[in-house]
Amino acid sequence: MRRAVLALALLWLAAVAPAGADCKFHRGEQVVLYSTTDDPSVLIWDSRERLRDYRAASFDEAQAMLPHALLVAPGTHATVVSCVANYIESPTFHAPQDAIGVVISSGPRRGLTRWVLSSDVRLVH
Amino acid sequence: MKNTPLTRATGTVFLTVFLLLTLLIAVQGSFETRAQIAGTFASLSQIDEAQIALEELLRLQIDEENSLRGYALTRDPFYVSQYRVAAAGYDAKVNAVRAILREQKLTGVEQLLGTYAQLQSGWRKDIAMRLLQHPGQRLEELDKRNKLFSDYETGTAAAIRQALAATDDALARSTQSQLDRSAYVRVFWLVGFGLLAILFNSYRSQLNRELEEERAITRILQRAFRSESVPLPHCEVGSAYLSATNHMAVGGDVFDVYRLSDNRALILIADISGKGVDAAVLTAFIKFMIRAIALRKSEPSAILAEFNTAFSKAVGDPYLFVSMFVGVLDTGTFRLEYASAGHDCAFVRRRGDGVSPLSITGPILGVMEEPFGSETLDLRPGDTLVLTTDGLTEVRNRAGVQLLEQGAMELIERASPGAQQLADELIAQVRARGGSRVTDDLAVLAIRVVDSEVPRA
Repeated sequence: MRRAVLALALLWLAAVAPAGADCKFHRGEQVVLYSTTDDPSVLIWDSRERLRDYRAASFDEAQAMLPHALLVAPGTHATVVSCVANYIESPTFHAPQDAIGVVISSGPRRGLTRWVLSSDVRLVH
Repeated sequence: MKNTPLTRATGTVFLTVFLLLTLLIAVQGSFETRAQIAGTFASLSQIDEAQIALEELLRLQIDEENSLRGYALTRDPFYVSQYRVAAAGYDAKVNAVRAILREQKLTGVEQLLGTYAQLQSGWRKDIAMRLLQHPGQRLEELDKRNKLFSDYETGTAAAIRQALAATDDALARSTQSQLDRSAYVRVFWLVGFGLLAILFNSYRSQLNRELEEERAITRILQRAFRSESVPLPHCEVGSAYLSATNHMAVGGDVFDVYRLSDNRALILIADISGKGVDAAVLTAFIKFMIRAIALRKSEPSAILAEFNTAFSKAVGDPYLFVSMFVGVLDTGTFRLEYASAGHDCAFVRRRGDGVSPLSITGPILGVMEEPFGSETLDLRPGDTLVLTTDGLTEVRNRAGVQLLEQGAMELIERASPGAQQLADELIAQVRARGGSRVTDDLAVLAIRVVDSEVPRA
């Protein structure tokens, strides 16, 4: 059952996501999650729209959205399954950021498919 | 076109005032620019101070959070005290930065900082207080909220940094622009001053040229108008002139000593009503006309009569009149025949016998056609004939008292024996007595009979 859901999710992500030619990350790439140095833990979201809205919302609105997010520890590994280029805009960003679809591959959230901000994602070298 | 004296004065005053005005504006402008630049530098300095303070603020916030993490992990109360120190430092720093932002009127940035402070306050209440009270209770929900605070604070801090950097850039650009403007303005004034100086110099050169030309013309005219005396055998001739028009050596008084023949000399002194250049022009006319008449007529009374007729007709000005003394001196016998047309400033100083006035023998010239009489005066060696104009007798002292004939005779009596010294001393006495109150021209002619021949100068 779990595998079927994952497969469906992957199919859905593949269908809705653009080709990702301008994306910083590409499908199949192994990445590690790490946010800012102030607080390197990473929020992962159940939809890319929420990810985008979180960045544009007021503090109270963002707080109301938190049940749709999970917090993973810095250094959590994942595999890129999708990328939407320049999807998220925020006054605090120098340039629009990509929304990255990932499948968590380490830690207690292993196997979950979620959306993260491209600046919270690092390639594994 | 020649510059008149009025045009010259106006031009010079205008240029000087313009130059001074330009200088004043340039100096004032420099001070203004300096004040503006100083103000901008002060603002720049405060913005830099705010940027540094902001970074310290962020460091204190990290200290605060890390202390809390330390306490959550170790439960060592040391971290609680560290947390409280960092929190107190953070609050003080927020107030300091806000004061600077208010002073610089950066309202937008100050509001951002207010939001930032509120977020931190919310974090303390929702996260820090709960962790301090229940250090073992690190719920995922709490962590997520911590992350939320962190994200917002990072965003707000970035916005504040951005706004301060933009202000810093704007001030730097403004300073650069002020410096540029100051440089351009300096160049402008420098060029302006240079051009004005060139203009001023050119104008001055032109004035100097014109003045030099006028001086040359004046010298030529003065030669024509100047009273003259020639040496006479067995006589010392001295003369002096004081013009009431300070800067001119010409006026309305004239004297002349002219050799009519080997043993006859014409002696003339006259005073024309009026003074200055107009009167000086007439003196030339009188001098040459009397010479011309004296070459034909030997009687002084006849000379005056003919001159009187000619003068009235030639000049045709009923308000113009002349007092004149004309004498013809025989340089062999020292007999002087003279006629005086209302001229009351003729004296003889006898050696060892005082000074006496010479009588008037007819009316002033140009007033009426009355007959003129003649008188004869025999001079002896040591005697001096002293002829002056009314500038001597009418000079007033500080109290306003005129010297008059008696005073003039006393001065002449006390004067040195030499003819030239006597003339110079009389002029000096008038200057000393009248000072700036000398308003009339004064001519002095002294002829002293001596025993031996006086060498020609």
